[in-house]
Amino acid sequence: MPVDRNVLPPLREPTALTFPSIEREMLPNDVRLCTIDHDQPGLVNLVVLLRAGSATDPSGYEGLAGLTASLLDEGCAKYSTLDLHKALGDIGGRLSTDVFSDATVLSIAVLERHLVAALDLLVEVATSPRFSDEAVRRVRTLRLSRIAQLRHSGASVADRVFRKGVYPSHPYGHAPIGTECGLTAIDQDQLRTFHTAQYAPDRWTVLAGGGSDSSGLRAVVTERIGRLPTVSLPSRSDLNALPTDPESAPGRLLFVPREGAVQSEIRVGLLGVSRHVQGYEALKVMDMVLGGQFESRLNLNLREAKGYTYGVRSSFDARCGRGPFVVQTAVDASVTAAAIKEVIREITDIRERRPVTDDELDVARSALTRGFPRNFETAGQVVVAAMRLELFGLPDDEYTTFIPRIVKVDRDAVTTAAQRHLDPTGLLTVVVGPPDVRASLCDLGFGEPLDATD
Amino acid sequence: MLDIKYTKVTLDNGLDVIVHENHGCPIVAVNVWYHVGSKNERPGRTGFAHLFEHLMFEGSAHHQSGYFRPLQEAGGTLNGSTNMDRTNYWEVVPRDALDRALWMESDRMGHLLPALTQDKLDNQRDVVLNERRQTYENRPYGFAWMALLAAHYPSPHPYHWPTIGFPEDIGAASLNDVQEFFSLYYHPANASLVIAGDVNTDEAIAVATDHFAPLAPGSPCGSVTASLDTMSGTQYLRLNDRVELPRLYLSWLSTALFGDHDAELDLAADILAGGKSSRLYRALLHDREIATDVSVHQASSELSGVFSIVVTAAPGHTLSDINIVVADEIHRMQSDGVTEEELTRARNRMEADFTWQCQSVGGFGGVSDQLNAYNVFTKTPGFFETDWNRYKYATPGSICEAVTMLLTPETEVALSIVPQTADDAALPESDLLEMR
Repeated sequence: MPVDRNVLPPLREPTALTFPSIEREMLPNDVRLCTIDHDQPGLVNLVVLLRAGSATDPSGYEGLAGLTASLLDEGCAKYSTLDLHKALGDIGGRLSTDVFSDATVLSIAVLERHLVAALDLLVEVATSPRFSDEAVRRVRTLRLSRIAQLRHSGASVADRVFRKGVYPSHPYGHAPIGTECGLTAIDQDQLRTFHTAQYAPDRWTVLAGGGSDSSGLRAVVTERIGRLPTVSLPSRSDLNALPTDPESAPGRLLFVPREGAVQSEIRVGLLGVSRHVQGYEALKVMDMVLGGQFESRLNLNLREAKGYTYGVRSSFDARCGRGPFVVQTAVDASVTAAAIKEVIREITDIRERRPVTDDELDVARSALTRGFPRNFETAGQVVVAAMRLELFGLPDDEYTTFIPRIVKVDRDAVTTAAQRHLDPTGLLTVVVGPPDVRASLCDLGFGEPLDATD
Repeated sequence: MLDIKYTKVTLDNGLDVIVHENHGCPIVAVNVWYHVGSKNERPGRTGFAHLFEHLMFEGSAHHQSGYFRPLQEAGGTLNGSTNMDRTNYWEVVPRDALDRALWMESDRMGHLLPALTQDKLDNQRDVVLNERRQTYENRPYGFAWMALLAAHYPSPHPYHWPTIGFPEDIGAASLNDVQEFFSLYYHPANASLVIAGDVNTDEAIAVATDHFAPLAPGSPCGSVTASLDTMSGTQYLRLNDRVELPRLYLSWLSTALFGDHDAELDLAADILAGGKSSRLYRALLHDREIATDVSVHQASSELSGVFSIVVTAAPGHTLSDINIVVADEIHRMQSDGVTEEELTRARNRMEADFTWQCQSVGGFGGVSDQLNAYNVFTKTPGFFETDWNRYKYATPGSICEAVTMLLTPETEVALSIVPQTADDAALPESDLLEMR
């Protein structure tokens, strides 16, 4: 059939999504187990979710959750570091320990035939790390070197200064790797105490999915994880309560000189929202229009019209507490001030002067709804999606109802979301660029730039 | 090992169409490879293949504005990339948007030029110059690979220049160059299309035929050949950069993709630096604590390959200390070989990684991209089994042979990247490079 080159093939209705069923079970030792029925012959995915991340780091010990997690595979009761990694190699297993602000996530994806061995190794590393003097010293030194190295990356300096600017005295103000002071202050006792409190089995949510037989998977996981002894610790309902959200601060511009830089790294943003914010859907749509995809106002303006940058994007990092909203880009140093002006203009305009149009609304909603199913292709994606339900306490039909909820978002809701969550008078701008751009930043409405150090 | 079923047909205009069904998720991946990369460029116009890739997203005759919008609003995600040998483009869309994705891909394959303007070229030139700044110039150690390739492949070898190109060449590209490049390389006979996902094979071939069969065939492209003069001993090079810690890059000319010993070098790389039980990790980070990271990689391309060992020094340690330990470990592997256990672990990790990668039908490295890689480089989309057998039948002996034959001083480059004020952290008598 000849193709009509004068019209694009039409859009079809979005495909409804049915999220796989999650079998939940409380094991006798108070481990919460979720098995997700998503067949994927070949590989199984196992995750242990602990509700303690870098936001749990005690003040003065920034980096404790991260250092704890990075020591898990440095020797445990049964295995030395070397033997542990040989055992992982024997099953082709790659163990990941990721620390986020609100959670620590241990995960492993292995060939189905190695499931039992993988589970046993996961249990070993999570429950019996040695925290030997030698390993603590060695791993701490590696992390301190990493922090020193990151000081030479304009992008990570910008991230760090921005984070601290939005959260001057809140645990979201530091990255999981921690700070030099914090890491140096941590000793073995703190690691052991943190591990005892946060890694006890009654704190675990185990998620498993993939393979060719989900009930068989559940049986094996129940048996291996259910063996773990129960640990009785005092009630811990408020163990990881986040401190009060920081106050929103007035707008300002922080400048960090970087000798010889050919680009300026720019961050513009403010205190954003928690995952439980009212009107999350409208906010999602608004962010898509502003800078959440390639065809967005920010990217079309700064990249496609002006050629200032390789790319610019915006995002709301919705966490258990209020996470940051940020626009990030790297621009040719000579257009630093012009680029910041455009970013602030776009943020301001979407609230009032140039509210979202019907066409933009359609494209954004369509991208979100029609694109939604591809987020659930692999067992790994599905297990992580289920993990997010657990972490944020969202209902099981969260994903199934996502498409109809997005369809209902209208222009007024998008504009209201922008007005509520993007206060241009409270924007924090961070620039990491060559010293000679500093002078050009004085007439952006923030007055003289504040000099920040990393 | 993986059993990836597919059907391949070649249209009259020379376009290969390959379809793989997977009904696990209601999506379909469209993946197009053009057998052109930076090795097809000429000096003075380096970076052109990549700049051209950008222009492929700026609209075509029947859809003159941006390429992203029609696919984004259809729920798609998309991207492209360029390397020395090939340029790839992909989208992943809901299954019933396959016709839209093919409409867009076929329009730019057949009808790109009428939509191209000087303004678009100028704009994307600025974007690419910013990409270069962001990815190379402004990033710690960002010039390392440019320096290594330039040293391994003396001019006029087509791997001599970086895929991103030199700034003045990017600036010199004209609309005329764009037109010429398009007519030489962007046509069905130099392309390969994979459709993978929730589709019916016959229907997918029919829709692909509707969209692509009418396109003019173009002339087949000759293959690029190049020879290398014999080199004579290690080249010691130094770069000063805004970095905290010195880093050593040791690399050797190795072997081309799917060439003799290519798989053995992949396995050797894993045995040397895959995980914390690997030889170099243990020696450098665990036992001696003189390094903060180590990675080893066999990067094989169509014409040739480079095997590299990259180590960052721990504070207070010199690259000379590191060089001694690495040399000892290589020598030990060459004289004593590797154990069966080490080989088994390396192979297990590769099997798991490969299986993991093939879970996704789309994107970089997904099934559709892999089918195209095999088709473009071997003419056999179902090369999975043959490819895997290279690893399956490798032995401690063949690995020992590979590292003995290929990791020799004749083709070695030792590049030290050191802080601006720490020249003496480099290996002695290294020649200073100026990169831009």
